[in-house]
Amino acid sequence: MLIEGSFTIAAPQARVWEKITDAGLMAGCIPGCEAIEVVDPKTYKARVKVAVGPISARFDLVVEVTEEVPPERVVSVTRGDEGTRASVVSAENRLELKATEDGATEVVYASEVSVTGRLGKFGLGVMKKKAQSLSEEFVRNFRAKVEMETAS
Amino acid sequence: MTGPRLVRPATLDAALAVLAEEPDARCLAGGATLVAMMNAGLAEPGVLVALDGIAELRGITVADDGRVRIGAMTRHRETAADMRLAGGHAVVRQAASVIANAVVRNMGTMGGSIAFFDPAADYPPALVAADAEIELASAAATRRLAAREFFVDWYTTAIEPGEMVTAIHLPPAGTQPSIYRKHARTSGDYAIASLALVLDGAGARVAVGACGPVPLRSDAAEAVLAGRLADHDAVAEAAALLAAAADPVDDVRGSADYRRRLIPRLLQAAISELLDTREAA
Repeated sequence: MLIEGSFTIAAPQARVWEKITDAGLMAGCIPGCEAIEVVDPKTYKARVKVAVGPISARFDLVVEVTEEVPPERVVSVTRGDEGTRASVVSAENRLELKATEDGATEVVYASEVSVTGRLGKFGLGVMKKKAQSLSEEFVRNFRAKVEMETAS
Repeated sequence: MTGPRLVRPATLDAALAVLAEEPDARCLAGGATLVAMMNAGLAEPGVLVALDGIAELRGITVADDGRVRIGAMTRHRETAADMRLAGGHAVVRQAASVIANAVVRNMGTMGGSIAFFDPAADYPPALVAADAEIELASAAATRRLAAREFFVDWYTTAIEPGEMVTAIHLPPAGTQPSIYRKHARTSGDYAIASLALVLDGAGARVAVGACGPVPLRSDAAEAVLAGRLADHDAVAEAAALLAAAADPVDDVRGSADYRRRLIPRLLQAAISELLDTREAA
């Protein structure tokens, strides 16, 4: 399923880039992110908990950056599983930062996500709605952190 | 692998005490959904609190003033067969009668169904249109919530940890008719889209099912319908408002676009059938 969207943030492109590549800050913005670890500059590990109604899952994810063009674009691949459990998630992610005329930054994101295993039995339609609402929550968190710092 | 520990309390208080002590406990009502979820590895409760031994959770009572109390453990079959659910309450009986198949209706319960809250299930729109209230109990307190507030988001209700659904209350209904209409791929499947409609004065309360995170009601659409139920333009306008407010998913049962297109058909069919019923009466 394709999860995509864009949002504008009242901060210059270079600052948004700096924040978006700050693993610690990102961990605090990603809904359900319990831990994040920088393995090397191109590889991150994260543990993320997701719940939809009665179902909850904890994924161990590895994010590998496959293309990085500061301060404009990051392309990455995410793979993860539920530990001993049968669900496997993978995603191809693309994130672009564009400076706007008034000095703000437009962030455009798209992820092609696939989920197989036990969670694949759950309705994909609802999962997509959930993913969209998690994206919106991330945007709110991220915007709050970056704009707060820019203002101070 | 060990399964959950099963407890089978004889009283509501005993059940609530287990829910208060065991964060990993889940109520087992009819098992129509929960057991299937456990078999699929989607739910793994540590403790199952079987509710079938608790007499106070069973059965339907109708008060002299017309108020109805449906115990959470009332099976769909009992609800579907209870002809006291007439007039404005018929919508709930009709919804019960089209849930899944006879085997599921023999086992499944109203409390279990709404606590799981599949967005395409039949009771949620019927209860919202009927202005039902959901009674919730924990070891500490009992409270009642309007159905509209009970259903919160996809598969999410207002039930707090330690709480369970104990009953569903319907306000006095009067004699005006009500109807539940469901469009499904085959008899017994979850709805692609459904619609519950209760005539109310010169207007109607309408709730659309399976077309968003919660049963959809639109004050604007109901305002358009007030006094103009027999007016095709008004019905079309109300249907357009409902379709625009819907937020359906794309899934195996149908695309979001298809679901939106079903809403006007369901509304027109429900209203014309109810008006015919009212004229015949």
